[in-house]
Amino acid sequence: MLRRFFWLVFLLVPALAAGVTLNGAGATFPYPLYAKYFSAYHKLTGVRVNYQSIGSGGGIRQLYAQTVHFGASDAPLTDEQVEAFERKFGTAVVHVPTALGAVVPIYNLPGLSTPLRFSGPLLADLFLGKVKKWNDPRIAELNPGVKLPPFPVTVVHRSDGSGTTYVWTEYLAKVSQEWRDRVGVGKSVSWPTGLGGKGNEGVAGLVRQTPGAIGYAELVYAVQNKIAYGAVQNRAGKFVLADLATVKAAAAIDDFPTDTRVSLTDTPALDGYPVASFTWILVYRDLDKNRAFKSKAEAKALFDLLWWIVHDGQKLNEALHYAALPEVAVRASEANLRALRYRGEPLE
Amino acid sequence: MNLRRRYLRDRIMVAFVYLGTLVVLLPLGFILVHVFLSGVGALNWDFFTKPPAPPGEPGGGMLPAIVGTFVIDLMALAMGGALGLGGGVLMAEYPEHPLNRPLRLVANVLGGVPAILMGLFAFVVVVLPMGGFSAFSGSVALAVLMIPIIMRATEEVLRMLPWELREAGLALGLPRWRVTLSLVLPAAKGGIVTGLLLALARAAGEAAPLLFTAFGNSFLSFDPLGPMDSLPLKIYVYAISPYEDWIRQAWGAALLLVLLLMVTNYLARRAVRR
Repeated sequence: MLRRFFWLVFLLVPALAAGVTLNGAGATFPYPLYAKYFSAYHKLTGVRVNYQSIGSGGGIRQLYAQTVHFGASDAPLTDEQVEAFERKFGTAVVHVPTALGAVVPIYNLPGLSTPLRFSGPLLADLFLGKVKKWNDPRIAELNPGVKLPPFPVTVVHRSDGSGTTYVWTEYLAKVSQEWRDRVGVGKSVSWPTGLGGKGNEGVAGLVRQTPGAIGYAELVYAVQNKIAYGAVQNRAGKFVLADLATVKAAAAIDDFPTDTRVSLTDTPALDGYPVASFTWILVYRDLDKNRAFKSKAEAKALFDLLWWIVHDGQKLNEALHYAALPEVAVRASEANLRALRYRGEPLE
Repeated sequence: MNLRRRYLRDRIMVAFVYLGTLVVLLPLGFILVHVFLSGVGALNWDFFTKPPAPPGEPGGGMLPAIVGTFVIDLMALAMGGALGLGGGVLMAEYPEHPLNRPLRLVANVLGGVPAILMGLFAFVVVVLPMGGFSAFSGSVALAVLMIPIIMRATEEVLRMLPWELREAGLALGLPRWRVTLSLVLPAAKGGIVTGLLLALARAAGEAAPLLFTAFGNSFLSFDPLGPMDSLPLKIYVYAISPYEDWIRQAWGAALLLVLLLMVTNYLARRAVRR
């Protein structure tokens, strides 16, 4: 076995010598989609894009440390972060949206057949640790006719710096005064209660193993692993399950900002899912300012990759339960990508 | 009466020794059996020949991680082995050398540093200046982890050799370096290889120092200056995931890692004996 394996390795070496490799790191929220993108893109062009899902916080930090060609985050950079990049490296950071996703409340209650319904304030109280049992009257009130087991509630949250956490806490802060005051919004917050899991994968894994657990994760992790997820009451009062249509409804906004940094949570849309978000790839506008780039060929390869993602790549989104970008976001991204430079030269 | 009591006491003591041995062997046996049973189902042709599949898609394999483990660990062994051996020889053969005291201190301190700090060290010293994650930086982290183990093992082994061996060489007019190289080291071959293997086994199982150095790579790569995957990294990522197929493959990778170490151990020992 081993000898055959070595032979195989030796035979493969020459075949793999050529081709550009790009490295990226960040969000776990779009990881299943990005893995699909990059495997498809490799078959298409031979360019190898190595993406490691270390969390949005880590992605931004590695982009700042210039160890990767691109970062990825589901939380847009804050104004202070944008300024920090500009001060240190003299270049703007371009946000390239790639997909729309939904953060869903996932839970592990054996024997329930229909999805539970949650309201925003109820979710806030669950994650604050104020609702301690699954048969609490506040849950029962929203779910008439559902036989709730008397399990204790175990909260599962992220342990790493996470854009998913940012989206989730941003939503909870919009619907709960107490959440705003006690916990606040961020990629990592001081959780009042619960267990930490690393990445969307870790949270989904913990919830799967723990009866009575409630956590939050990107929709695809719930669907792929057959973990139950609940409907969330939106601002219009409707209980909405996350799916392609309700996420798209949440993203239908009128004044789309040119830098694409926009929050979609607590949408006023009638059928919109209230915890939806864009997810972004982050790159330096002046790519030569990032020491990870060793040549113009790499910069060109990154430009081509991003151009492909916002256009042809979008066809891969829906099979993995991410909504494709709305037309306005594609147009904004085209303009932003055209502004990318390597030593002052455009890359188109 | 007295004699019978002594025999009884003897038997009780022997029973305790057996019991102790059993208690020590039990967890090891349990781990081996459990890893084997959980992992053997994941080992198939694809596992050895394919790159990983995107999450949620069944199939895919560990080829990049298997290759990366070999490349990273062998580079680490080359670097750590050279430095560790040198340090060990200095401490054992030149006890009067002024560097010995600080060297021993460094070895002891390094031996107690958590592995993840080795990764941090390599991140600051190699990754940041070189502007990117690389297999080489992972090897540096693992080499630093190996050095104190190899150094101490080498020193112990050399100390056990009789001084008469060196005296015989010196009496023939050999310089000291020649005595060390041609007499002392060959005589201690077996022990030194054991030290190297111990260090390799320790390093081969570490994921923490590789997280921000070798970084991981979903494509097969032979470039030591680019990111590379490794079995412990894959085990770490796959084992905490919710995907059943990944968890199965994580067990498979764990089994493969154990088997690889056992095979290296066996081969190295056989080579030394010959």
